[in-house]
Amino acid sequence: MAQTIKLVFSNLKYLVLSFVIFSTMLVGLLILSEFIFLEPYVVSHIPSGTEFGFTLIVIISALSALVLPMNIFRINILKSSKQKMSGGIFGSIIGAAAGACSCGPIGFAVISTFGSVGATATAFLTNYETPIRVIAIAILCITYFTTVKSLKVECKINS
Amino acid sequence: MNKKGVLIGVITIVIIAGIAASVSSSPSETMNLDMERSHGTISTAMGSPILGNPDAPITIVEFGDYQCHQCYNWFHNTKPAITQQYIETGKVNLVFVDLAFLGRDSPKAAQASYCAEDQEMYWQYHDLLYSSQESKIDSGWANSERLKAFAFSLGLDMDLFESCLDSGKYSKRVSYNGQQAKEHGVRGTPGFFVISSDTQHQISGAQPFSVFKQILDPMI
Repeated sequence: MAQTIKLVFSNLKYLVLSFVIFSTMLVGLLILSEFIFLEPYVVSHIPSGTEFGFTLIVIISALSALVLPMNIFRINILKSSKQKMSGGIFGSIIGAAAGACSCGPIGFAVISTFGSVGATATAFLTNYETPIRVIAIAILCITYFTTVKSLKVECKINS
Repeated sequence: MNKKGVLIGVITIVIIAGIAASVSSSPSETMNLDMERSHGTISTAMGSPILGNPDAPITIVEFGDYQCHQCYNWFHNTKPAITQQYIETGKVNLVFVDLAFLGRDSPKAAQASYCAEDQEMYWQYHDLLYSSQESKIDSGWANSERLKAFAFSLGLDMDLFESCLDSGKYSKRVSYNGQQAKEHGVRGTPGFFVISSDTQHQISGAQPFSVFKQILDPMI
């Protein structure tokens, strides 16, 4: 497993990509979930009772930063199928969508635009925020292990 | 001819009496509103009673929804410090204006708070709603029955409260408040305006106390 990670991230391009994915997802999700505010001052805080949600965001961002570059590596270097890539993207998107709080600007815009359908959708994302994030983490974990397994076979890595 | 005249007279009296009765029981007559009240550019006439010193030089106008969990976070994490350091000391007062958009129970909860205001228990009811909020929107924690149970637990006159809530007496008031929010570019809850005689700052989201302190202190 460590050898597989080393193989992918020894290439600076994938290391930079991983860092960009992690920081973009982390900051974006923290803004969406109101852990970071940009106006009137840049400020971050973790209100009491929201520590678990914060931890899940960090895990989703870290797993996305791990899984997506590995799959891009498979496609670029080994010309493999894009099937596992879609698993990583799917998991990342689900994890990100759960962070779109219905109280916030995105939720308000969706409800204003789509009315009761939008309200139902955002209420669902808010009500099941934690289970959705856990599912997203599970999808990313499965994608990670299947990617590592296929890289071992395709690159003939000895574990 | 004479009988006809009597009949017309009776009908006229009945109609006039009916109109008089409906006007006397009209909700608008029992509302305790200062229609001229505004803070900065915001009409707060239909909002909550003022919390704190009415003559305070600074007013915080909060736009919120009783089912919003970020409003819950602000209520529990930021508001206590603001209350202690600014509202109780008379430097700042606060008005709550509804932006009840999150679910079907949100407007009803907002209306219930004004039914409690009829019995001069607005802020107690407001606080009870935010203390009792459950994490799921429209899960039933703020349905009509629960709203009545909250009123009962505060010792309100239940006949008055139930007739107020069931009649939808304050539905237009809540809608008007939502319109104020939209006109002032509030795009989520909680949304705040910190207003003095010459400045008006907008703060979006459940921001920490430090942000409010940074804005309030130079204004005092």
